[in-house]
Amino acid sequence: MNFARRKLNIGRMAGALALLTAAWSQPALADKVLRMAHDLSMGGSESLDPLSPVRFWEVNDLLYSRLIRLTEAGEMEPELALSWEPNADATEWTIRLRDGVKFHDGSAVDAEDVKFSLERINDPALESPVTSVLGMIQSVEVIDPLTARVVLSTKHAGLPILLTDYRVRIIPSGSGDTIASSGIGSGPFKLDEYDPEGTTRLVANPDYWEGAPKLDSIEYVAIPDADARIQALLGGQLDFSRIAPEQEPLFAGRSDFVLSEFPAGGWFGLVFRTDTEPFTDPRVRKAVRVAVNREEMAKLMTGEGHATVTCDNPVKANDPYRADIVCPQDIDLARKLLAEAGYPDGISFDLHTSNLETGMVRFAEVYQQQVAPAGIKVNIVMAPSDGYWDDVWMKETVVVTSWDERPADQILNEAYRSGSSWNESYFSNPEFDALLDKARASLDFAEARQAMVDAQVMLFEAGGTLIPYQQNIQFAYKKSLDGIRPVIEDQMRWHLVDKTEE
Amino acid sequence: MIGAAPEIGRNARQPRLLARIVARPSGAVGLALVILHVGVALLAPFLVPHDFAAQNADAILLPPSTRYWFGTDMLGRDVFTRTLLGGREAMLICTIATALAVFWGGIVGILVALVGGWIDNAVMRCADALMSMPWILFVMIFVAALGTGTATLIPILSVSYGLSVVYLARSAALEFVTRDFVLAAQARGESRRTIIFRELLPNVRDSLAVQGAMQWSWMILGVSSLSYLGMGVPPPNPDWGLMVADARSIMSAAPWTAIFPMLALSSLIIGANLAVDATAKALGIDRNARGQG
Repeated sequence: MNFARRKLNIGRMAGALALLTAAWSQPALADKVLRMAHDLSMGGSESLDPLSPVRFWEVNDLLYSRLIRLTEAGEMEPELALSWEPNADATEWTIRLRDGVKFHDGSAVDAEDVKFSLERINDPALESPVTSVLGMIQSVEVIDPLTARVVLSTKHAGLPILLTDYRVRIIPSGSGDTIASSGIGSGPFKLDEYDPEGTTRLVANPDYWEGAPKLDSIEYVAIPDADARIQALLGGQLDFSRIAPEQEPLFAGRSDFVLSEFPAGGWFGLVFRTDTEPFTDPRVRKAVRVAVNREEMAKLMTGEGHATVTCDNPVKANDPYRADIVCPQDIDLARKLLAEAGYPDGISFDLHTSNLETGMVRFAEVYQQQVAPAGIKVNIVMAPSDGYWDDVWMKETVVVTSWDERPADQILNEAYRSGSSWNESYFSNPEFDALLDKARASLDFAEARQAMVDAQVMLFEAGGTLIPYQQNIQFAYKKSLDGIRPVIEDQMRWHLVDKTEE
Repeated sequence: MIGAAPEIGRNARQPRLLARIVARPSGAVGLALVILHVGVALLAPFLVPHDFAAQNADAILLPPSTRYWFGTDMLGRDVFTRTLLGGREAMLICTIATALAVFWGGIVGILVALVGGWIDNAVMRCADALMSMPWILFVMIFVAALGTGTATLIPILSVSYGLSVVYLARSAALEFVTRDFVLAAQARGESRRTIIFRELLPNVRDSLAVQGAMQWSWMILGVSSLSYLGMGVPPPNPDWGLMVADARSIMSAAPWTAIFPMLALSSLIIGANLAVDATAKALGIDRNARGQG
């Protein structure tokens, strides 16, 4: 799943305020209401348009369906699409749709809607970050009401996995101007009240194609502060939340909660802008990364067994395209690289971070401490959490970043291809782009994998992003909830989630 | 009369001030706390048992023990070491900022009291406007615009805290501007600067000193609040506000990470308040009679 947690929270105080304002009245006992929180990461402009750069991903996941989704094991399975077949050179994909699926307004989901929804991705006016992932979609032809043909500008054997993107949702044809507020899709829940700064309320869609949801409604409350969310959960105002490893002890002795954990590919990282001195030199970029003791960092940040050490590789551990790279801490190499690059006395830079997410500041402190012996002097600058993704990320030279996992093809293109809108390190390397193109065009898995692996190795050698480890996801939820699976939220089958008497 | 102005009320100061402060139990306790804190702040680098920044993945969140008296934090750092060092930066920032605030606020307050007229009105209405803004908002606006760090905090704090000094200095000086010795100085053709520094300042000095000491303790709390909000002392410098902020998410599971810096901060502020109250009483200044901050 595949979203970067882009957070613009309005500071620590706001967390407490949000808690106060979110003190809603208890629903009637008969109603099965699932209460969750979102982090107001877009500062109130959270959009119901799934392709928007400020997409309200938690809610959109419940409102809209995809063509293809992932199973718990990470394999593709039909959602609105029943089948997907390429032509001989994978430049055209024919998609057969499920019959009888209806949008919330009662109209049928057909090939016109697929054409509209997919062609929209490349509408420049939307400025959708998905363009960097699915920009190769040239057009979509309607063959019959239940068959669409996706025409690509280049060969791409991996199109179906890209269609599992959490933002690629099918919306009614022609609803581009209204979707951001109407929320009409074919998902398990319908929009009742849209209030991103307060409580957004969704009610069960009894006509959902997989069967009516077991819950009556889901409420998403805005609580920007990570700690305030945990307090709301502990205090019984929420039913479900992600937690950080260090918060586990807060649930000790709470038999009314269930904790679950599963490996995932998200990370905290450091971004060094490759277009800004001294990080224009790949030797400097490598030096600031090899000076890190990743094993130790993972342990300091997450404790034992909650993370997988990573060598600046954004592809998650169990992805078939992941490159195996080894990267022990090497202070001598870092010093040598810096000296070669013309910095025999080391370098010094500002590292921007914020209290946006639990651990973001600690992450910077651990880095600062670890690289000091290599002559790398880090000055931590605390940025306000409000507006962090707008004003600091992709603006300042060195920042702490935070991503959730995505499939290999998606993350490599979205975060590292030249000119892509979330290319946070401004990494631009024609050879790297050519490897990505080669992987996409290749119909042979081994060949495609080799190109992707080469691309990942290139990132380790010359990239501007430190990814020291990838962290497991941990959930904490009320024991009264049934049907919560250890999968990232947008792979959850929310219509199967139920709430029993407490 | 050529020499300095008569210092009205100075005689009350004579039987040693310090003895009169500590004669009150609250004054003695307050002063002891402040001296303890200042002493620790000055000597801490020589006292601490561990490196304040040393991280230890094998000692994360250990409870208090003989090795780690106050336990360890989320990065395995010694809380005792960090608590001892945690007030240094805030105290340094606040001491400099208080001196600046009292200096400029005092001069401006006395000046407008002396000049009067529309200038007095204009300055005070501007001050009213600025004071009407909640303090934390005022500071946050500047911190957000200029960034954090000692170099920005000191001027921001001295400006925002200096406003209340303007009120105090003005009202204290107003008592004297119509007195004979000031009128006489004006009649002699003394410059405004001479009148301010030679005639008025000596008379409002005690009030300003008490106000300054009070400001200092408020400012300590203010800087800690800013650090707590992520806008004060930058990490990894140990700072009480920052330590409490770090500890926030695990406070109920590892209370030692929060309790010790909280105790340190509150004991310093309580001590400073008690000491200032006792000092004000010893000087014969009724702090409640003046509209202070």
